[in-house]
Amino acid sequence: MVVVASLLGIFDVSLDKLSNGELWLAQFFRGLSDGATYASVALALVMIYKSTGFINFAQGSLALLGVYLVYVFSVEQGLPVAVAVLCAMVASAVVAMFVERVFIRPFPPDHVLPLVIVTLGLLLIIDSAVGIVWGFRTRSLPSMFPTGAPIEWGIAQLTWRTIGNLGTVFAVVGLLYLLLSRTKVGLAFRAVSSNLESARLVGIRVGPTLGFGWALAAAIGTLGGALVVPDLLLEPSIMLRVLIFSLAAAALGGLDSLVGAVIGGLVVGLARNLLVTFLDLSELALATAVAVILVVLLVRPTGLFGSTRVERV
Amino acid sequence: MWFNTGGWRGKKRVVQAGSRQHRQRQIIGWALFALVVVLIPFLIADTYSPTIFGNRYTVGLGNLSQAVGLMVAILGLNIATGYSGQLSLGHSFFVGSGAYLTAVLVNDFHWSYVATLGVVVPGLFLFGVLFGIPALRIQGLYLGLLTFAVAAVFPSIIRLEEVSERTGGSNGLLIESDLKPPTWAPLDKVTEWLHAIPGVGSRVPDGLTGRQEEAVYKYFLLVIVALVCFWLVRNILAGRVGRAMVAIRDNPLGAAANGVNLAAYKTLSFGISAAVGGVAGTMLAMHSGFVGPDEFGFSMAILLIVGLIVGGAGTLHGAVAGGLAIQFVPHWSSQTQTLPGTDVALEGPYGTAILGGLLIVIIFALPGGAAHGFRKIKSRLMPVAPRPPGG
Repeated sequence: MVVVASLLGIFDVSLDKLSNGELWLAQFFRGLSDGATYASVALALVMIYKSTGFINFAQGSLALLGVYLVYVFSVEQGLPVAVAVLCAMVASAVVAMFVERVFIRPFPPDHVLPLVIVTLGLLLIIDSAVGIVWGFRTRSLPSMFPTGAPIEWGIAQLTWRTIGNLGTVFAVVGLLYLLLSRTKVGLAFRAVSSNLESARLVGIRVGPTLGFGWALAAAIGTLGGALVVPDLLLEPSIMLRVLIFSLAAAALGGLDSLVGAVIGGLVVGLARNLLVTFLDLSELALATAVAVILVVLLVRPTGLFGSTRVERV
Repeated sequence: MWFNTGGWRGKKRVVQAGSRQHRQRQIIGWALFALVVVLIPFLIADTYSPTIFGNRYTVGLGNLSQAVGLMVAILGLNIATGYSGQLSLGHSFFVGSGAYLTAVLVNDFHWSYVATLGVVVPGLFLFGVLFGIPALRIQGLYLGLLTFAVAAVFPSIIRLEEVSERTGGSNGLLIESDLKPPTWAPLDKVTEWLHAIPGVGSRVPDGLTGRQEEAVYKYFLLVIVALVCFWLVRNILAGRVGRAMVAIRDNPLGAAANGVNLAAYKTLSFGISAAVGGVAGTMLAMHSGFVGPDEFGFSMAILLIVGLIVGGAGTLHGAVAGGLAIQFVPHWSSQTQTLPGTDVALEGPYGTAILGGLLIVIIFALPGGAAHGFRKIKSRLMPVAPRPPGG
């Protein structure tokens, strides 16, 4: 008890706050909403990691590009937001296929580190290209979901946006699962991700399959971006924070598990909101992501749902 | 055939490593290098600004000093990543810590810049070792993941309310002390001597203004610190420690089988890397007299990786080339107002895009980086035969 009390003292926690049930619930809902957005970008990271074994540090930048396309389609062209998001998903998928073909495929797939460096280069190129084309002015982007909250308890509101974000993520996971387990291209994708050489030997066209993975990941990332941005303002550095939280989510879920990415995303979103609110750590929000990554990598490097990698000597 | 390159190459004098000619050649090379390092500040103290295709470019001495600081930062990163093979995307954290440590010591405790190195080096070494201990369990890509996140957190730590009184929070920190050249430094005299050199002399300004003197003095101070760093790191790497690190990078299992203590050398490499990074931070603070939280954020972390790869990971020359690249490519491209030869206006972060492209091209075409390219050209032009065994 003394330890708990002194910990509370260090973090300057007021007991009023801790005993405020409505605040808990409010932060719980906000955490779920944020978590859903992290989960969707984490899903994109996991797609790439599953198939190629490296982390695509440019995933956030591809999502950034996608969100700017959403802006162009919805605000500048006047399309309904949902249609704009669909168009942007298709467009970013095409861009990602092009990127994979031009920048990733020329490199040998079994050397991971050069590929990681290449994704860092892509991050620089895409981020600055967005800055060049659209400038650094902040813009606001409408949400896909109606405003308002169907369920309220005092200050705790379960908004349509929270429901929509969660629903979207679960729908994406469901569709991905069906795609990977029930279709031919999904089978090819799983074969390539389980063993690239054997997949090539049985006649699967590895290159296009990986390109398909990139396209799918970019589309999911764009969708995730379209969920995130309405809460914030759109500007070129916005996806960096999201990328860090999503990396934490993916690491927690195990980097190669789709379900893990979603659960990881929700946990990271909840942890972030609860810690920031109850421990007054608003500046250290990003640090919670780092703490999650560090603890996961130290305690359980395969994450919650990841498969163990066996190394052959 | 008459243009057969083999025959052409055969006529060239191949010098044997360690022979007298080889030593002479090395001495001449170093002398030329020293001459350039000494002459350049006087040549560009009056900001050199050529106009190319209608764009005015400047090569201020300040940019060069900044590049010298970045070279040392890349040198530090090189130890952990280039030599020991541990992907660190968060080196900016160490550089930033060094810079802030210096800034606080100079501002609040009125230390001199150079004296802060006495705290920065051991402090950051310890910090790097502490950081390296959890990193022992984390390898390759995962370490990259963790350090990437760590780099992004640095600005928020600086902005924390608890420390912002000292660190200045978001506004950054103007460092009070300014470096004035000591009265005994004969900078004015040197300009007079330089006038006597034919060809070059006409470009040297007659006497330096106060600000120019200060810039030249800072440059020499930074170059001396950098030379000491490079010399120390070279010696560390040439010895037992360096061989152990390279062995760990190339084949950890083989290294362990040969009696290399992996844990000890990996943490040591993080310690040295962080210490050198801290020195780089001090140098950057010294150069600009200002530290801001976002300078040392994640964009610097990526730029340092770009510098490392473009210059050449695992080489000392690479750090020099990389530092120049990440300083001058963004600087010059920001000064390119119109597309060369046309009237098309260029605006925005083209420099960063070019660096990103350069990174990918280098990985693809010249995986050893610029240093490897230089070495290839040099061995073509001035071949050196290795010393025969036992000779």
